[in-house]
Amino acid sequence: MNKKRSMMFSLVRGLMAILIALGVAALLIFISAEATNIGDRFVQTFGALRQLLISPILRNNGSVNVKNVTDVLAAMIPILFTGLATCVMFSANQFNMGAEGGIMLGAFVTALVAIYVPIPGGLLPIVAILIGAAAVGVMMLIPSILKVKMGVSEMVCSLMMNYVVMYFIKYTLNTQLADKSRGQIMTFPFQENAAIPQLIDNGSKLSWGFVVGIVFVILTALFMYRTRWGYAIRMIGINQDFAKYSGMKVGGIIILAQVLGGVLAGMGGGIEMLGRYSTYAWSSLPGYGWTGITVAILAGNNPAFVPLAAFFMAYLNKGCNLMSTYSGVPAQLIDIIQAVIFLFFAAEQFLSGYRQKLVVKSAQEELQRQAEQAAAEGSVK
Amino acid sequence: MTLLEMIFTPDFFFSILRITAPILFATLGAVVAEKAGVTNIGLDGIMMMSALFGSLSAYWSGSWFVGLLVAVIVGILEALLMGVFAFNLKTDIILVGIAVNMVGSGGTLFLVKVITNMTEGTALASTTSLITKALQIPTVNIPIIQDIPVVGQILSGHSILTYLAFILVFLVWVLLYKTPLGLNIRSVGENPNAAASVGVSVLKIRYIAIAFSGAMAGFGGAFMSMYYAMGWSLDMVAGRGFIALAAQAMGAGEPFGSMLSALVFGFAQALGIKISALGVDSNLVSPIPYIVTILGLVVFALVTRARIKRARAAKAAQAAAEAK
Repeated sequence: MNKKRSMMFSLVRGLMAILIALGVAALLIFISAEATNIGDRFVQTFGALRQLLISPILRNNGSVNVKNVTDVLAAMIPILFTGLATCVMFSANQFNMGAEGGIMLGAFVTALVAIYVPIPGGLLPIVAILIGAAAVGVMMLIPSILKVKMGVSEMVCSLMMNYVVMYFIKYTLNTQLADKSRGQIMTFPFQENAAIPQLIDNGSKLSWGFVVGIVFVILTALFMYRTRWGYAIRMIGINQDFAKYSGMKVGGIIILAQVLGGVLAGMGGGIEMLGRYSTYAWSSLPGYGWTGITVAILAGNNPAFVPLAAFFMAYLNKGCNLMSTYSGVPAQLIDIIQAVIFLFFAAEQFLSGYRQKLVVKSAQEELQRQAEQAAAEGSVK
Repeated sequence: MTLLEMIFTPDFFFSILRITAPILFATLGAVVAEKAGVTNIGLDGIMMMSALFGSLSAYWSGSWFVGLLVAVIVGILEALLMGVFAFNLKTDIILVGIAVNMVGSGGTLFLVKVITNMTEGTALASTTSLITKALQIPTVNIPIIQDIPVVGQILSGHSILTYLAFILVFLVWVLLYKTPLGLNIRSVGENPNAAASVGVSVLKIRYIAIAFSGAMAGFGGAFMSMYYAMGWSLDMVAGRGFIALAAQAMGAGEPFGSMLSALVFGFAQALGIKISALGVDSNLVSPIPYIVTILGLVVFALVTRARIKRARAAKAAQAAAEAK
């Protein structure tokens, strides 16, 4: 199959997956519509779908809603990072689910530095985020070393660690760090110079963190496809035994992949914290890690496609929120849509009949071309 | 009274069994699925879904039995759906499990809002008000044993599902090692090509195994929402499906060993609850089961490694002896 055809197949396949997910969404909205007669239900379903798909960009009168667009872009920031983190870890076939706890720990450590360590000027956010990222990198040593040295499942281990991280943060926050003068449980405010400057100051919280995120997309893509280590990570993911017998230090690379994933997730947490908030108040896992897994699957574990996938997820999420505000369909519909898209994207045999047809067609064309060529050569002789 | 006496009371041991039961159900599901070579990490999500539909059906029908039945059927259906994606559409089984867990977390909240909105007029974020004492899964007192001091207090008066969980350990062992189906399940897990070559339908056996794990998760879910707690609430399963996977690994995939591991987790959690009742911060105590899980996996890995080393050393010694 030539490159153009296989690109087209991927495109058709992705669109089909999205269409099926939207079909499921429409069905669920239809079932949950409040109206009693069928006609009204169709109208309500249509209205809700319009909210879901169009309102994140356009107002009802057709003009572009800038605030909503910047909201979507700002919501991309944390899932860019968790998406990248998951890409790197899954590329090495390491099903580490620690991005969820990682982004929370990164945010927490960054917040602590931003509150308590006096560093002058613009250096503070940079140092704070780097320390947060490093902390999560160190945390990922636990599942990765246990995996390499003892064969402990990195998946179960990282899932358990997510809970441990959450309770550890809740405990220290409640007992040691909380600002008791506030009604809710939160830390003291960050130092003023800790905030990441905003790109557009319209309340969307679209900070320079977005630009940093895009830079890291490029860096991660270069790392994965243009360096020795990136190659080794991908090779281990494709065939670990082959990688081992061709002399790669498989254990070290597996640890490297998970630590890098941790650093990226932690960085995302720190940037989200300093770009959006002025005090730390997360008391439960934020869910960005799970969305990051979806982003990585949609991007086919290729960092270059992460921004597109992250935009798509942020867009759908915004759409679901708007839909729940205006038409009463619960916003958690996003989790079902997400799971359906996810499943069909990851399904190897999905539309395999269509792929078979394309392959056969390509082969026939190739044969025909060869026959014509042979005939042409024959006539020359 | 010393601290130990305060902790190790009969009701403490009673609570270990109560807390272990839902983990044990999921563990048995993981054991059978893994024997057939299927890693079902969606157990957690299935438990959430079953817990929700179990409690709702019990409320609608006014019968705990209907609720339990629906919970198990929902579990089986969800597992079969997983099978369609994993076996027929060739999606990585781990990814299918992740998707199921996504639905189990946010998706159940969506469903509960939609469904209770239709029936109640207001959107509930949990079904805790729906399950009353009468709809709870009933408890039974075992004759004779209940009259024995201490032992009776610990072993008698549990819900029927708690007893079922421990009885199922034996039944699963019988299924795996004493029936033709069990032989097929094990052979498919060990070497699918060899199994297929002697006429075993690998696909069918895998579907049976994953459906069984779904049914077990269904029991676990029903236990959570209809006995352990009075109704469904968000993220109530709290990683028990994952702990079950760890218990399966620590028990080397065998029913009885996995049951012992599940009991270790039950013990850890019961201890945590007891300690927090004595006034220790619950955030400090809640992570104990998760830490024990990680430690348990490490200990298991060390033991396995030592065993393999010993086996190798014995083999080498034997070979050396034969060479002479």
